[in-house]
Amino acid sequence: MKVVTGVIGNDIHVVANRLMDLSLNARGYEVFNLGVNTYLEEFFDAVVETGAEILLISSLNGEAEGWGREVKLLKAKYKTLDNLTMMIGGNLTVGSGNAEDIVPRYKNYGFDLVCHQVDLNTGLDMLENYIQEHKQA
Amino acid sequence: MRDANGSSNEKLLIDIGSTYFKVSTKESIEQHFRDFNKQILDDLMHKCSDTVQRFESNDIHICSSANGGLSTLIIGLTHSYSLKYATNIAYNAGINVIESIIFQDIEDYSIPSDLIDVVIIVGGIDSNGGQFDERLDNYIAKLNYSNIVYVGNGPDAMAIASRVDKLLVLPNVIDDRLHIVETHLKEYLTNLYQQDIEGKEDIKDLYKITGNQIYSTPYVVNKSLPEINATFAVTDPFILLDIGGATTDVHYSKDLVRDNIVTEQGHDRIVFKKLGVFKSRESLIFTAEQNEFAYELLMHLKVTESIYKENSDRATKVIMQLAIFLVLCEMSHYRAANVTLKLLAMNSIVFTGGITKVLNVADIEDVVAFFYRKILNSDHKPACVVDTNYDIWTIGAKEYALCQ
Repeated sequence: MKVVTGVIGNDIHVVANRLMDLSLNARGYEVFNLGVNTYLEEFFDAVVETGAEILLISSLNGEAEGWGREVKLLKAKYKTLDNLTMMIGGNLTVGSGNAEDIVPRYKNYGFDLVCHQVDLNTGLDMLENYIQEHKQA
Repeated sequence: MRDANGSSNEKLLIDIGSTYFKVSTKESIEQHFRDFNKQILDDLMHKCSDTVQRFESNDIHICSSANGGLSTLIIGLTHSYSLKYATNIAYNAGINVIESIIFQDIEDYSIPSDLIDVVIIVGGIDSNGGQFDERLDNYIAKLNYSNIVYVGNGPDAMAIASRVDKLLVLPNVIDDRLHIVETHLKEYLTNLYQQDIEGKEDIKDLYKITGNQIYSTPYVVNKSLPEINATFAVTDPFILLDIGGATTDVHYSKDLVRDNIVTEQGHDRIVFKKLGVFKSRESLIFTAEQNEFAYELLMHLKVTESIYKENSDRATKVIMQLAIFLVLCEMSHYRAANVTLKLLAMNSIVFTGGITKVLNVADIEDVVAFFYRKILNSDHKPACVVDTNYDIWTIGAKEYALCQ
């Protein structure tokens, strides 16, 4: 499966991005890594150009919060993204925060899978389970 | 002194613009206002025959921007990749982009009435076929164009070629990592531009005096950019504004754009086809009238809008200052044209073209400072370098002459 990934907004956390790339490749995904400092429109545009089934956005220290609010509005402008699986992970708020508040908020922004302060492999396991469930459905 | 090929060391460099032509020898540089009632060659020989006749045809090198460039309409899948890549390649090949169309919304776009020199279709990596359906054919069928080229994903190429007459298929400009592949489209567009220049009757005539290929002026200028530090006190990143009679060319350091395009080229180009101080004066004034700050600039320059109707040295000077202001606006967040430059990070602005014969450094610095204060709310002051002797063009032309 094709995955577009990258770090959203004005965020240069390249180590996490590189680990994500390696882990996704190791799990057999075809990875299109847009790197750090990526804007939301570039993520959606990359999905269109590559035909990716999954968009996996990472973020640190709450940078995604502001961008997340734009997701539904921007995604609605694209006519071919209805079946896209959208996942976000990292530290999704400023400071620590708790998952009970943060996960529903990001799901409301339009993400199917939200991993707040979840380790990488656990997050990717969640993705695989989600894909399996949706294949069966 | 002649070499083994019968060529002397000294070269005669000629640049044919829309308003002026320039003739450069080792000793001097001449500039002449064009006589539009005469063919270019007749006009050139009338004004500079002594100079031209001193040189062998192999030692005469000519470039021209007098044809106004070619126009393209690009149909792509997204702004961030296919359209952006094709637009970047087109501008760097000297082609003017008149319309960019997102394929998913193609039915919402109007059909340009003018003849389009080349239509470019682009989009998708090679493993992502099935992007273009009959809506593309319907749109293309209504267009009036001379050439059409497909540089999108591989699987769609055959299908589109079977439906669209005379479609040229070139390799995809997007590779499997979503990176740009410039070579093939750039070469194709460059050759098309070249053929257009050579095809113009006026320009064709010039081959009577030169044994070398006639190039487009933007190429020649672009060629000089890596060498610019040797002649001028220019600090990177910089932009070069070539404000001419019909169009304005901007060559900019790639450090000034937030870009996902990775190429070896250090400078890109953008052209504003309707911003010029002579042939395009009317459209420049129209643009000024749409700009809410232009009126304030006129006040700052202590003139009123009636200056637009004047035909005086003072009016020419103000129009040129206005051109600088409008071009900077077009490249800032204020107007957000095709390219938005990080103007606060810019260290130098180099000015070349006809404006350097009319404006002095103080006139230019005044309008640049006004732009930074009004539009960017900043006291940032990039160094203004004025190429009064057309050195930029001669450096580039010599580079080409050496290559030939």
